[in-house]
Amino acid sequence: MFAKKHKSFNFIDRSVYVFSLIISLLIIAPIFGVILGNISVDNEYFKFFSQTELVRYTKNSLFILISVLFITFFLGTFSAYLVSFYEFPFVNFFKYSLLLSFAIPPYIFGYTLSGFFENYGTFYSILNYFLDEKIINSILPNLGPFLGSIISLSLTLFGYVFILTRSSFLNQSKNLIEVGKNLGFTTFDIFFKIILPSARPAIFIGLSLVGMETLADFGTVSFFGLSTFTTGIYNSWFIFDDLKTANVLSFLLLFFILTLFVLESFFRKNMKFHNSTSSLKRKNEKINLKGTKRILAFLFCFTIFFISFLFPLFQMLFWSFTFPNSFDFLEIISINFNSMKLIFFASTVIIFLSFFVNFGTRVLKSNVLSFFSNLSIAGYAIPGIVISVAIITFFSLIDNLLHLSIKSYFIGSLAGLIFGYVIRFYSISFNTIKTVYLKINKTIDDSALLLGFDKLKILKKIHFPLLKSHFVFAFILISIEIIKELPITLILRPFNFETFSTKAFNMASNDLIEAAAVPSLFIILWSSLLIILSIKFFLIDKK
Amino acid sequence: MKNFFDVKNVTFSSSSDHKLIDVTFNIKNPGDIISILGPSGVGKTTILRTIAGLEKIYKGEIWLNNSLISSKDFFIEPEKRGIALSFQDNSLFPHLNVYQNLIIGEKRKSKIKRKIKLEECIELFQLESLLKKFPHEISAGEAQRASLVRSLLSNPSLLLLDEPFSNVDIGLKEKLQVNLKNLLKENKISTIIVTHNYEEAFYFGGKCCLFSKNKLIQFDNPYNIYHFPASQDVANFFNKGAFLNAKVISDNELEHNILGVIKGKFVRKFKKGDIVKLLVQPEDLIHSDKSNLKFKIIDKRFLGTNFIYFLKVSAKEILPVLVHSHHIHQHTINEYFGVKTPIIIKHLVCF
Repeated sequence: MFAKKHKSFNFIDRSVYVFSLIISLLIIAPIFGVILGNISVDNEYFKFFSQTELVRYTKNSLFILISVLFITFFLGTFSAYLVSFYEFPFVNFFKYSLLLSFAIPPYIFGYTLSGFFENYGTFYSILNYFLDEKIINSILPNLGPFLGSIISLSLTLFGYVFILTRSSFLNQSKNLIEVGKNLGFTTFDIFFKIILPSARPAIFIGLSLVGMETLADFGTVSFFGLSTFTTGIYNSWFIFDDLKTANVLSFLLLFFILTLFVLESFFRKNMKFHNSTSSLKRKNEKINLKGTKRILAFLFCFTIFFISFLFPLFQMLFWSFTFPNSFDFLEIISINFNSMKLIFFASTVIIFLSFFVNFGTRVLKSNVLSFFSNLSIAGYAIPGIVISVAIITFFSLIDNLLHLSIKSYFIGSLAGLIFGYVIRFYSISFNTIKTVYLKINKTIDDSALLLGFDKLKILKKIHFPLLKSHFVFAFILISIEIIKELPITLILRPFNFETFSTKAFNMASNDLIEAAAVPSLFIILWSSLLIILSIKFFLIDKK
Repeated sequence: MKNFFDVKNVTFSSSSDHKLIDVTFNIKNPGDIISILGPSGVGKTTILRTIAGLEKIYKGEIWLNNSLISSKDFFIEPEKRGIALSFQDNSLFPHLNVYQNLIIGEKRKSKIKRKIKLEECIELFQLESLLKKFPHEISAGEAQRASLVRSLLSNPSLLLLDEPFSNVDIGLKEKLQVNLKNLLKENKISTIIVTHNYEEAFYFGGKCCLFSKNKLIQFDNPYNIYHFPASQDVANFFNKGAFLNAKVISDNELEHNILGVIKGKFVRKFKKGDIVKLLVQPEDLIHSDKSNLKFKIIDKRFLGTNFIYFLKVSAKEILPVLVHSHHIHQHTINEYFGVKTPIIIKHLVCF
């Protein structure tokens, strides 16, 4: 039997594949730069180096990482659990206000914490009204650099765990507590055996984001004077001009991050999200807490909200009004404009790219693509300093290899700065879109194919409408990060181009914490505004 | 003459540990309906997904309308096959309402000119009140009906239905089955319907594929599958009859140690003296109160039109006997029940 064998060369598939791969590769190019740079490191140098600083860096970084993960896990999951399943005073307020912790960059929290508790600081002034100086000195807590860093990082990063866990709870089709009680479990068992496991993928995604942020943090540990990988890289690169050490440290840091990735994918293995078969979703009936439990739940949420948001906000407001001379109206207008420009261009590029790669990975089912796209989100964990220098090296390399001079277009320009942001913040958007994608049943795609849709039509008619509301969410998350971002902006920005973070950093590093208050305050206000916008948006979307 | 649709020696696999090996079946003429029957988990859905192009094959060939659509090194993309698949679970697009979901596939270019009307389908499958609702606002059975209509309206050259009524209420089910069958026949839509319910399979399918374990055990018309099962596995699937050990004593006689001589026409040939397993279906034995051959009733089942009495013939042999429910009197459990002699079974199905 003969039949016409029309070879089907699928142009669309190939194009999607190639573009997705190029995007992923471009985003991980700096990682390769760091790894390649280490191949030539000679052993003796490494031996000398490892005996001295390396152990200390590793210990410090790991200690901070583990402590922060532990605290954010507790704060994030427990607060999400309380506001998702229980009814107590102001629960609807906390549902959203806990997200305001995203508005505070860890380094600003660090400035606040240190300025508040330092000798003759805010706490001192408050106590001075009531107590004698000697007594104050004896009760003034002495925040060590570790405690300061860990508190600053934990209270500004737990929001990742909170928001992801909460949205996972919301997507449960039935009230898990009722189901658990029906099976005869205690509240304790329900929390550990049903609720936490049901949100496991979300918790791990949240924790992996926290972990990457912690390892990449430079502002806070540097402010507290701790030797970690990032401060090590910064010091060796920019103070001692020692590229080799910086490279080795970056390489080791990447190794830790890779471990986080492996752990994450291990836990996510075999986990598939699907819409529940019965499409009827019952509205969760919350359990009304009574008596002491009601007060405790309120106090728990209020304390977190107060410390993570109101505390730094009030401190910055206080300093801004007590030191009004640092205001310059015109400069503030221009910095605001700079920030808007950066946010708009960078977010658009990031969302477009991460959507496209997610789409490609989903419809093409290619292992290679899936591998590289998963690797590409590592940019988030690479410290801004490393990304910046990697970009400089990357374009120098291209110029040398191809005899071009494109470097000047990317270094000290908006284009280069946006490229840096893309590498760094790509994973926020990628993970947001991926989480939504995982929830869209695969038969939706199959149905579309069988109705004659080609892949691009599926992208346009099915995926885009389903995901578009989440693009706004990704946009907001990216915007908040860009407003807060420090090292990339510091290094790659065009000459004389200031953002609030660079202003605040310069002031604080000159020991003018109070003068850093105005730019810090603007960072907090901008981010808060964006967070509130996102909440409004979601409330409308729900209706 | 070539078949309209052909599956030739295909190995279907959804994962490496489960396979259906060397499967061959066909649809002879356009507009024919065949059904795929088998226990849960046997891989029925995988067959449909593979035919639709959602899974690839590494052995065998699949042909549609004289064109190869799948083989080890040839593959036509699912969107270009013109095959529609109505999924068992909710596959409606969540951002579109039911009406928008129904018409989304309508614009597909198709060589086949049919006149399936949207309004007619909406009425036949009772979707009028659902049109403005979104998928999350309707029940699983309603979503299934909508998904079925969406597939029908996409004007496929081959329609695949995966348990189309599994979530539909029993009362409505029969009515919808009739409507669907009429629509398919009127519009000559070639269809493969997957089900684990043999009555549904027999109702729709001019021919049935019966799968068990990892292979196709019989491909035939429903009458033959039921009355001339190709193997003990096939007979076991319906779980209606019982097997008796008997000895072949002539060209048309068997002997059982308790029932005595059983007459009939052998479906397969056996030699005199062979010990065989005889399949006895509930309708094979005839009840007679006057008979001397009596057995104790150990269970009985009321099926509306009929009763089935389960008789204990020996410690290991229990025989079902069908009696019309309007029979003059009923028997109760533990009573003795007469079986008419001599026993004559039209087709002697032995293994």
